[in-house]
Amino acid sequence: MDELALSVRNLSTVYDTGGSVVHAVRDVSFDLRRTERLGVVGESGSGKSALALSILGLIEPPGRVVEGEIVLGGRDISKLSDRQLGAVRGKEIALVLQDPSSALDPVKTIGSQIVEALTVHEPDLRRAAVRRRAAELLREVDISQAERRLDDYPHQYSGGMRQRVAIAIAIANNPRVLIADEPTTALDVTTQAQVLALLDRLVDEHRTAVILITHNLGIVSDFCDSVAVMYAGRFVETSGVDHIFVAPTHPYSEALLKCVPNPERLAEGPLPAISGFPPDLSQLPSGCSFAPRCPVGRDLPQCHEQAPVPHRVSGPAGEASVECHFAEQRIREVAV
Amino acid sequence: MGRVIAMRVLGSVGAVFGATVLAFMIMRVLPGNPARLILGPLATSQAVTALNHHIGLDQPLYTQYWRYISDFFQGNWGYSYSDGASVRKLIGERAPATIELALFSFVITMLAAVGLALLSTYRHRPITDRIVRGASYLGFGTPPFFLALLLLIVFFSTLHILPGPEGRLGVQAAAPAAVTRMYTIDALLAGELGTFWEALKHLILPGLALGISSFSFLVRLLRANLLEVSREPFITVARGKGLRRWTAFRRHALPNAFLPTLTAGGLVLGEFLAGSVLIERVFNWPGVGSLVFDAIVKQDYAIVQTFILLSAVMFVLVNLAVDLLYAVIDPRVRIPTVATA
Repeated sequence: MDELALSVRNLSTVYDTGGSVVHAVRDVSFDLRRTERLGVVGESGSGKSALALSILGLIEPPGRVVEGEIVLGGRDISKLSDRQLGAVRGKEIALVLQDPSSALDPVKTIGSQIVEALTVHEPDLRRAAVRRRAAELLREVDISQAERRLDDYPHQYSGGMRQRVAIAIAIANNPRVLIADEPTTALDVTTQAQVLALLDRLVDEHRTAVILITHNLGIVSDFCDSVAVMYAGRFVETSGVDHIFVAPTHPYSEALLKCVPNPERLAEGPLPAISGFPPDLSQLPSGCSFAPRCPVGRDLPQCHEQAPVPHRVSGPAGEASVECHFAEQRIREVAV
Repeated sequence: MGRVIAMRVLGSVGAVFGATVLAFMIMRVLPGNPARLILGPLATSQAVTALNHHIGLDQPLYTQYWRYISDFFQGNWGYSYSDGASVRKLIGERAPATIELALFSFVITMLAAVGLALLSTYRHRPITDRIVRGASYLGFGTPPFFLALLLLIVFFSTLHILPGPEGRLGVQAAAPAAVTRMYTIDALLAGELGTFWEALKHLILPGLALGISSFSFLVRLLRANLLEVSREPFITVARGKGLRRWTAFRRHALPNAFLPTLTAGGLVLGEFLAGSVLIERVFNWPGVGSLVFDAIVKQDYAIVQTFILLSAVMFVLVNLAVDLLYAVIDPRVRIPTVATA
């Protein structure tokens, strides 16, 4: 097995919102191997972005990481000070955000924002050298006339180009791990495909491990090796990418998959939706948090009273870890 | 960018035109005949008619208006009816005191607003934030002349740590050699530190009183801007590059939050320069405001009229300068968006 790039253990993050405590990330553990690409999928508000910020130590008050170990390249970074973390962020672990129109400072040039990503870790670099490196990075993300366009401002770039710049900033120091939080959601479909292809090529060349946060299962199937389904702040099902599409075991994963438009099922009528709403993260049910919406456990006392532990199951398309009381039973049904 | 500038300049010209028309009309609508006022109640009606003719009041309104603005822009502001000196000379003598007070007040107001806005937003401390917001409410609600009296009672008559309402310098102190005629600057130029300190102490209370309501306005504005900008994803991105919290804040949040504040700062400076009649009065500050106060009491129209127009023009010019500055420093205004695929 490849060496581990990142290992997260029992990570929990809460937001104190005056009176109620919102549990955004609840006891999440996972391993990311070198060059692995993990897709984290889930609805809005399931804690995906909070997870990304927690790993980077960028949770701002009133939020805070209450527990957890984040081992990056053999070192636990969860207990580091802000100054120490500064040397890790952008250097060993980098971030790409969703909305390219707000991810760049509107009053600073593109060049200065790329240069900043380099000089913060290597303050002694000469200006000319940094500028050359910044231009190289722009070329690497397929922006033509890179040298000249360094002096442009973000509003002179299109959305797709801005996202390329964001990627250039993220890969500037050749990080071990790249966290991309919905990197293509704000882009139109053609641009999405281009940006994804670019990301694909770069992480391949640089042998970067990726955590791709998305709600788009199509992107997961194209891009990722493994997938974690997130619900109400927890990873409810973790597996290789094939398993989730062949034998989704958690009822939530199954429901999520049914919501993906599929030409073969067009005749079956309108696209199904998952009934109900995600739970209020400040008042979580005591049992399984999906129970109130779950087609399997909605009426079962066990599901409402007892929180499920992760079950390791082995299905037709590989192993999975599933937080459901009925995981074994369900995988047997699929396998038959 | 050329278009932007042209629009701003045109807008300013329009504003000045509106102000001149307004000032002109107000003077015509007010009851009382200037000629009668000048000549006194015992003058014959022939004398009044003759004077009316002499000063052009029998001309059609548009002719009067034209004379009025062309005189104004040539610096031909007439003569004070109470002491016979030219209005230009009177205002010129008083202007440095007002400008010095305005600039001083502007600087401390801006520094305090930026400092406190930072304090209430940079670290998420609800208590500090609440105190700053409370203070700004008080500043909003307190009339400046009342605050001026309060400051005098506390710092002058009770604590005796700052000078009272005795103008720009104590009675014993001599004004420094006139260069800019702003005492603090002149004192520094002349190397008279004692005089500088004396002049500075005299600036503090009127400066505070003049600045308080603008401070409240600015601190609230800047606080809101900072809060908004610090939640922007580009701040997270900057932190994600490895920038320390303060560095990301200083390089990316502050400039973006400050840009909209610039416009407000222009308004404030314009307001200060236009002078505060009441504050100057309370502190016996020998500035344009005091001159105008006396002129109002003595019905010295030439001075009042010039002051109104002058402050309007000043206000418009300062704001024009700010707008142009804005166009220079905000790349989104300076450089048009180029459609690139």
